[in-house]
Amino acid sequence: MSTPAISIENLTKEFPIPFKRERVTAVRDLSLRVEPGQVYGLLGPNGSGKSTTMKIVLGLVSPTRGRTEIFGRDSTRVESREDVGFLPENPYFYKFLTGAETLHFFGKLCGLSGKKLRDRTKELLALVRLEDAAHRRIGGYSKGMLQRIGLAQAMIQEPRLLVLDEPTAGVDPAGSREIRDLILDFKKRGITVLLCSHLLGQVQEICDRIGILHQGLLVREGRLDELISIENQTELILENASPELLADLQAAVAKSTARVVEQRRPQTTLERYFLEVTSDEKKVKGDP
Amino acid sequence: MNAPAATQHRAFSPSRIAAIASNTLLELIRLKVFYFLLIFALLIIGCSFFLVNLSFQEQFQVLKDVSLGAMSIFTWLLAVLATAMLLPKDIEDRTLYTILAKPVPRLEYLLGKLLGVLALLFVAISLMSVMFVLVLYIREQAAIHVATRSMAPAELAGEIASIRASTFTVSLIPCIVIIYLKAALCGALTLLLSTFASSSIFTIIVSVVVYLIGHVQPIAREYWLATNDAGAGTKIFLALISLIFPDLTAFNLVDDVVAGNAIALGLFLKTAALGVTYIVVYYLAAYFAFSAKEL
Repeated sequence: MSTPAISIENLTKEFPIPFKRERVTAVRDLSLRVEPGQVYGLLGPNGSGKSTTMKIVLGLVSPTRGRTEIFGRDSTRVESREDVGFLPENPYFYKFLTGAETLHFFGKLCGLSGKKLRDRTKELLALVRLEDAAHRRIGGYSKGMLQRIGLAQAMIQEPRLLVLDEPTAGVDPAGSREIRDLILDFKKRGITVLLCSHLLGQVQEICDRIGILHQGLLVREGRLDELISIENQTELILENASPELLADLQAAVAKSTARVVEQRRPQTTLERYFLEVTSDEKKVKGDP
Repeated sequence: MNAPAATQHRAFSPSRIAAIASNTLLELIRLKVFYFLLIFALLIIGCSFFLVNLSFQEQFQVLKDVSLGAMSIFTWLLAVLATAMLLPKDIEDRTLYTILAKPVPRLEYLLGKLLGVLALLFVAISLMSVMFVLVLYIREQAAIHVATRSMAPAELAGEIASIRASTFTVSLIPCIVIIYLKAALCGALTLLLSTFASSSIFTIIVSVVVYLIGHVQPIAREYWLATNDAGAGTKIFLALISLIFPDLTAFNLVDDVVAGNAIALGLFLKTAALGVTYIVVYYLAAYFAFSAKEL
């Protein structure tokens, strides 16, 4: 069995309440594994323990009990972060730095320098499509641009694991799609991704496995397609089916123990529809 | 496709520290903190205009007193105000998470921040020293010019030598170095306070209080010991207070310089060592407080 990208064993985190004896338990006895190359969605309502779990995995907070590892290295140790890129929720960078300077700074923190750092900066700015804004100060970036430069800095040292906290929060649909496509590209490159997001539609499109936290407990965990498939139903999508064929199928089903639950036309998603409409320049100019 | 290869970790990296230090210096410079240097320049230039009715020796004494005193106050203010907001700003903006999520030990992060402040203080004090030396040189030349016009040739050489001896003395350099170390000590103390303080305002207020205590506590301690029968417990308590709150009067060499006294090498080295020791101790205490901090 290969070394998991993330291994969480019996993780518990309790926070003391000032001037009181009670403690708040943010995470209770959590255990899960993220295998290399997977896109893993860590889901849950606000206050469920996702951010605390993420911070413990990143070594920013120490666990009360249990152990977390990144590629076999204890995540409380600094060296475990050599392989990790992190994009926090609502990323904030030094406003006085330009996009290129920001990547330079984080690159130096990861031990890059000289031509290698310059080339890597150029490559990432091209990847996240910020070449034109490279010499503009971060203070002037839009929300979508901040998310993209955040992704770029997370990738600066070519990490094996990316931890993304709400990577598309507050971003418009076009920007959100770009970020999602980037994540799928990272997956193709063999990079493991741990994703926290409230946008379940996107999680459904990207993730291989999910874990759902609720009040600090892992209530569901497994492959996404297995968890959300309705076991005793089958979807059959036909193209150019004639009314006669549909009638024959209905008749065949009626003779068996199965039943037709719903018959309808499949729909495109609102997101795809929105993007088609807004990216069509002819329509914007008033041309048919 | 194969995932990227695992990377080797360097336990201690001067380049990581240098990156954080230079970024801190850039952040503070872009906050336009150097505008206060304009106030310093105006102060010493303005001061020199009011000295014309004094003898040249009195002029140089007043100029040195005002300039070195202002240098001391301004560098201390810069150290406290610049340092007080560094950590809270990084925590509030969550920039700290992004930095510490990289393979950056907290020790290096804090050291980089401190070195950035020390670099800022060095630049500030260098600029102030240049302005001070320039104004002093102009006053010296003006005094020489006046002497040349009013004195007999036989007495002129001696008078010029006397003027020059009153302006640039060797003691100026160690005095400025000690001013720098005093400000650096206050910066390190402010960094320590900011690791557990709840806000920048609280950090600044406590730093100011410690600064005042540092100037008052040696006098208060000596007065108490002279007028009261102090038991062993009281003496230990007073000794602890004098260790925690540095004796900042020990860093005040301005009076000696103004009076024209030479600063002995032994005194300079002892004072400098005291300053460096306090900076190291405060930094280590800040690291211990910060390493346990939950983000």
